[in-house]
Amino acid sequence: MGISRPALGLYLTATYPSTRRFLEVLDKVRDAEVDFLEVGIPTRNPKYDGPVIRMAHRGAELMGLDAVKAVDDYSKYSRVPVLMGYVSDYLNSLNDVAKVAKDVGAATVLFPDLIFDYPELIGKYVEVMRSNGLALSFFISSKTPYRLIRSLSELKPLFIYLGLYAATGIKLPIYIEQNVATIRGIVGDSFLVVGFAINSPDMVRSLIKAGADGVVVGSAFIQRISDLNDALSFLKWLRGGLHE
Amino acid sequence: MSNVPTHWYNIAVDLPKPLPPPMDPYDGESRIGLLNRIMPSELLHQEFTSLMYVPIPDEVREIYVRLGRPTPLRRARGLERLIGNGVKVYYKFEGALPGGSHKLNTAVPQVYYAFKDGAKEVATETGAGQWGLAVSIAAALIGIRAVVFMTKSSYLSKRQRVMFMRTYGATVYPSPSEVTKYGVEAIKANPNHPGSLGLAISEAIDYVLQGEGRKYIPGSVLEFVLMHQTVIGQEAISQIPEEPDLVVGCVGGGSNFAGLTYPFIGAKLRGEGFEGTRFLAVESKAAPKLTQGRYEYDFPDSGGLLPMIRMLTLGHDYVPPPSHAAGLRYHGAAPSLSLLVKEGIVETRAYTQEEALEAGVLFARSEGIIPAPESSHAIRAVIDEAKKMPKGSVILFNLSGHGLLDPDAYERVNAP
Repeated sequence: MGISRPALGLYLTATYPSTRRFLEVLDKVRDAEVDFLEVGIPTRNPKYDGPVIRMAHRGAELMGLDAVKAVDDYSKYSRVPVLMGYVSDYLNSLNDVAKVAKDVGAATVLFPDLIFDYPELIGKYVEVMRSNGLALSFFISSKTPYRLIRSLSELKPLFIYLGLYAATGIKLPIYIEQNVATIRGIVGDSFLVVGFAINSPDMVRSLIKAGADGVVVGSAFIQRISDLNDALSFLKWLRGGLHE
Repeated sequence: MSNVPTHWYNIAVDLPKPLPPPMDPYDGESRIGLLNRIMPSELLHQEFTSLMYVPIPDEVREIYVRLGRPTPLRRARGLERLIGNGVKVYYKFEGALPGGSHKLNTAVPQVYYAFKDGAKEVATETGAGQWGLAVSIAAALIGIRAVVFMTKSSYLSKRQRVMFMRTYGATVYPSPSEVTKYGVEAIKANPNHPGSLGLAISEAIDYVLQGEGRKYIPGSVLEFVLMHQTVIGQEAISQIPEEPDLVVGCVGGGSNFAGLTYPFIGAKLRGEGFEGTRFLAVESKAAPKLTQGRYEYDFPDSGGLLPMIRMLTLGHDYVPPPSHAAGLRYHGAAPSLSLLVKEGIVETRAYTQEEALEAGVLFARSEGIIPAPESSHAIRAVIDEAKKMPKGSVILFNLSGHGLLDPDAYERVNAP
């Protein structure tokens, strides 16, 4: 299963702001046809997230995998659903996460803290994902060592996710296009997803032009979640940036 | 300008493991967001760049040349004779720069980028005053105002540096000061507070937030600071006639050590030479983060205004005992250096002030240069290591500064 190029992805935290509302949002998202959907596993320790997504973790109705299981099958809502969680919560239960991911129709589980805080677990992660029939995915930063990026690419992941800024939703004066172009040159043919603080079609356009295959929006959508029509038009507006 | 490097080297992309990103604590405002308000924008880009080599602006290179780059690489023949076992010792003399230390290598670009952002003044912290002096010089050359918060113990003991900073036009406050709320709180808690670099950082940032047209620039620890210093090591690689077996530098936050060693370490990590070279980071026993610190997320400043970074740290509220080597009185080590220590690529050693100054005196008498008390820690390690190495071995160390503005340290040594 691959993701179409160029792609727009959406990040949601499971059961935020409530299970009922989360399901309503998913229903609408199905019609918005996002190319991939990242479902955050609510945690008490979303260390690399910015203020908006931290709030979504804290405000989720359910915590952990229980929240994810509020939906039987995420593939009803998106062509490529992905779970996203912190591996620090599952150091001794990686297989449980993989099983749940498989059960709810997710293609892979993305752990943003894996290569930074638990690089010794990369091998185990690969083994667990594969033994459960799941694809691999890796989160990197702009400063990730080239050799590591190359070795992750050689594992043929579904995608490599480059965090454009230091935390989700917080813009800094960083030459993100230059970083994307550099990383593009290192990941080879791997599908390169970029995200953090995406908030305009111009930004989407310039990132795709710089070499990204897909762009994910999270904080800016979640901020609009109380007005679903507004949130969906925002998504549609962003999608306009995917093509020249 | 041909002998001055054209790029700075970013070791992050060559490290054996990735640098953990900076992180916000769970309380209060986003510190990562705050960086936007306090720091020159180009520096933030450099902190997060994916480039291995970052171009040095022509204007900055030109000032590097005017100030005396490339600095000399010399053979310490007198010290070699003193050690007497046929080990060869080379040193890179950063004390040849006008401020007397390596700090100008990053002060110039940082002040330049602040100026490009339209800043009218830059604010910073300083320990021994080497950084504050460098910022004062860079600000004078580039034409903006410098405000320096200097740890109080140094402010009182290093009057000449304070005077020279003022000569260059800088405003200098002892930290804790009465200019910021962090200073006021510290004085209230302890009227005899000696100050710490961590506290001085918080004061400088608070000062920047109080007014318009101000930018904060840091003297060490952040990765772009270390990157700017790599001109030292790049020059050294082209100057040294033989491959060193050991490269040594002292560590406060890590910038002079990184400046000399990272171009060597990077080549080693890429398999492009220096396979047999060892690297030794030398710290003060007054702030032994490399040898006794914990590897965890901590604030770089005692006020917790900056984002947390993962580093070897003694805790951001650690107040080191007053020490002449004030430049080494810092609770943490830069994230990349901490990671290299954790990975066993960089070895560590801690010395007392007395052990270091004893070596400083030997160096002065054998080489004719009074070394900075900070650099004397590296010299002590060079002497101790050389004694254990076979004839013909080659050592390179960073003489990060001269000690002509540190008479307080040498007064104690020479006291009858």
